[in-house]
Amino acid sequence: MAELNVLGFHAGSSVLHQLDVRFKLMFLVVISLSSLKAFVPSLSLLTLVLMVALIHAGLPLKMALKDLRYVFLLLLFMFIARSLSVPGSSVVEFKTVSVTREGLYEGAIVCWRLVIVIMTGLSFVLTTRSSEIKAAVEWMLKPFPSIPAKRIATMMSLIVRFIPIIFEQAKKTGDAQRARGVENRKNPVYRLKMFSIPLIRRIFERADKLVLAMEARCYSENRTDSLLSSGVRDWIALVGVVCLCLIIIL
Amino acid sequence: MNIIEINNLSHRFADGTVGLENINLCISEGAFVVIAGPNGSGKTTLLKHLNGLLLPTKGVVRLSGVSVAKNLAWSRQMVGMVFQDADSQIVGETVSDDVAFGPENLCLDRDDVKRRVARALETVGLHHYKDQKPHLLSGGEKRRLAIAGILAMEPKVLVFDEPFSSLDYPGVKQILAQMISLHQAGHTILVAAHDLEKLIAHTDRLIIMQDGGIVRDGLPSQLLWELEAFGIREPCASRLGMKVHSWLN
Amino acid sequence: MNEKGLSNIGSSTSLRMTVYASLMAALTAAGAYLAIPIGPVPIVLQNLFIFLSGLLLGSGWGTASVGVYLLAGFLGLPVFAGGVGGIGRFAGPTGGYLLGFLPAVCVIGFISNVSKTNVVRDLLAMVCGSLIIYACGLSWLKILTGMTLGKTLAVGMYPFLPGDALKMAAAVPIAKALRPVINRE
Ligand SMILES: Nc1ncnc2c1ncn2[C@@H]1O[C@H](COP(=O)(O)OP(=O)(O)OP(=O)(O)O)[C@@H](O)[C@H]1O
Ligand SMILES: [Mg+2]
Repeated sequence: MAELNVLGFHAGSSVLHQLDVRFKLMFLVVISLSSLKAFVPSLSLLTLVLMVALIHAGLPLKMALKDLRYVFLLLLFMFIARSLSVPGSSVVEFKTVSVTREGLYEGAIVCWRLVIVIMTGLSFVLTTRSSEIKAAVEWMLKPFPSIPAKRIATMMSLIVRFIPIIFEQAKKTGDAQRARGVENRKNPVYRLKMFSIPLIRRIFERADKLVLAMEARCYSENRTDSLLSSGVRDWIALVGVVCLCLIIIL
Repeated sequence: MNIIEINNLSHRFADGTVGLENINLCISEGAFVVIAGPNGSGKTTLLKHLNGLLLPTKGVVRLSGVSVAKNLAWSRQMVGMVFQDADSQIVGETVSDDVAFGPENLCLDRDDVKRRVARALETVGLHHYKDQKPHLLSGGEKRRLAIAGILAMEPKVLVFDEPFSSLDYPGVKQILAQMISLHQAGHTILVAAHDLEKLIAHTDRLIIMQDGGIVRDGLPSQLLWELEAFGIREPCASRLGMKVHSWLN
Repeated sequence: MNEKGLSNIGSSTSLRMTVYASLMAALTAAGAYLAIPIGPVPIVLQNLFIFLSGLLLGSGWGTASVGVYLLAGFLGLPVFAGGVGGIGRFAGPTGGYLLGFLPAVCVIGFISNVSKTNVVRDLLAMVCGSLIIYACGLSWLKILTGMTLGKTLAVGMYPFLPGDALKMAAAVPIAKALRPVINRE
C-alpha cells in the first residue's frame, strides 16, 4: 500500500475543477454548516445538487463505493446507536432495548447530514490539486504575520511526499524482523519497541539527508508566491451557493 | 579560467574526526573531473565544501574568485549537487513541483519558475511525467529528476556524488549520457566515484583521494595503472592492456 | 535575480526541526494503517506516534506537527486513512479523537522533558494526553450518537485501554532511544 486514499484529485475540466480554491473552500464550510440545520426536504435538495456536481466532476463511482465501505459501517453504527437511545414511541421491543420511531427518524437525519458533509468534501478533494490547496493555505494565513505560512505549505508537501516512503520503510523493517523470527516473541511491548525504533531512526536519517538537499537548493521561507486567480465564474457560483444555503436554513 | 579554487582546505568534524587535510585544488571552467577514492576517503566531504553545506575548519574555497563561506546562497545556486541517495533529496509531491522547489526558493516570479521547470524537465527527458508522483519513478528516473531539480536553478557547476550507485545498466547509460550532454552544453562537472569503469573514457581529469588528502591528480590515461594501489578497481579493459571504451556504445 | 530571496536562508536548526516535524506528521498519518498483529486484535500505531511527537519534538514543534497534519487533512490533502479525506472525517464519529490529538500533543510535550528521559514524567504526560484525547473523542461521539455516557465509554474507550497501556509502556523506551538522535547539540 502506497497511498492513503484512492479518492484523490482526478484531472478534469468540469466547472468545479475550474473554480478558485478559496471559493471552493468557502463553499465547503458553508454547505457543511448549513446542512446541520437541514431536514428532509432540504437534505434531498442538497443531495440532488451534490450528486449532479459529483457526477459532473467525474467521480469514479465503483472506486468510491469500495473506498467508502468503512464509512458506511460507521454510519450504520451511528444509525443503530441513535435509534436505540432516543426515547419515544417504540416500534420494536426486545427485552430492555427498544427501537423508537423518533430514534429511527433522528438517526436517519444525522447520518444523512454526515453523508452530505462527506459528499461536499469529496467533491472538493476530487477537483482540487494539492498545489492549489497549499496556495490557499498561504493565502489564508497571510494576514497573520506570526504564522509562517510558507513553512506550513512546505510542511504539507513533505507530509504528503513522505507517507508512501514511510509505508515502504515500515514494510522493509517488518520483513527484516520477520526474517529473524520476531513473531516468536509474544511480548507486545517488545514488539512495539523493536518495530518503532528502527523505523523512526531510519525516517530521521532520511530527514537529515533531506535537510542537506533542501539547503543545497537554497531553501528559504521567502519563496515565490503561489498563483491564485478568481473570476466572474467564482462570484456567480458564490451567489448560487449562498441562495442554496438560505433556502436550507430558512 | 579557474571556476573552483581551493586553498589549504582542512575539515575536522565535531567529534574530532579529520575529514579533509590540507587540500589544494584548482578546476578550470568546463572541465569534466572525476574524483576517485575508497570508502571514507573524503570525497563527499570535499564536495560538500563546494556549496557551503560544510564550512572549512581551515583554508578557503572560492568560486570564480568569490569565497563560498561568505556567499552561501549564491554559491548554492552556482553549484548544483546531486546526492548519493537521489530518493531522499526529492522534496515535491509531483515531478514538476519538485523541480520548482529550487527556483521558488530564489523568489523568481511564477512565469520564470514555470519556464525553468519546463526546460529542466525537457533536458532530462521527464516532461511527460510532470504530474507523476516521484515515488513511482524508477531509480534512473529519480536520479534524472534530482538532476532536473538542480538544473532549474541554472548552476554553472554540477556535482554528482556516486551517480551510478544502485542503478541498472540502462539506468547507468541514461545518467552517463545526461552528464556528457550537460558537459557539452558548457557545465563544469565533478563526479565522485569509486568505480571508474563507467566514466573514465569521458573525463579529462582524474583526482585520487585517500584518507582525506589528494594523492594523485592528472590525466586519467596516465593514472590508470596506479589505481589498484589506492584501493580503486582498475577498469577491465585497461588491465588487459586495451584502451577503455565508452559505456555508451 | 531577486536579492531578497538570496539573503534569507533559513537557519539550519529551524529547517531541521521543520523537516522532523513534517516527517513525524507523516508517520502519524501512516500510523493509522500501520499495525502490529499480536493476538486477536492488531495494535494500531497512530496514537503511539502522537505520544512520540510530544515526547520527541516537545510542546512547540509537536503541536506544529499535529496541527499541520490536521489542517492538511481538513483541507483535503490525502493524509487521512480510510476513504474520506477532508471535512467529512472531522464530522464523522471518530472526528473528536482526531481533534483531541492537538491539545494532547501540546500537553504531552509540556509535561515531559524533551532533552532528558524521566520515566514518571513521560508516563504522566501520556496519561494526561490520553485523557484529553478521550475527552474530545467521547464527547463528540456522544453528541453524534446520542448514547448515554456509560454506553459511550463502553464503545469508545474501554476496549482501547489495554492497547493504550501497552503503547505507553513501549513509548518510554522508544523515546529514550531516539531522543539523542533528535536533540543533538
Ligand atoms: N558528520 C560526521 N562526523 C564525523 N565523521 C564523519 C562525518 N561525516 C563523515 N565522517 C568521516 O569522514 C570520513 C570521510 O567521509 P566521506 O563521506 O567524505 O567519504 P567518501 O569518500 O564520500 O566515502 P564513500 O565512498 O563511502 O561515500 C569518513 O571516515 C567518515 O567516517
Ligand atoms: Mg560519499
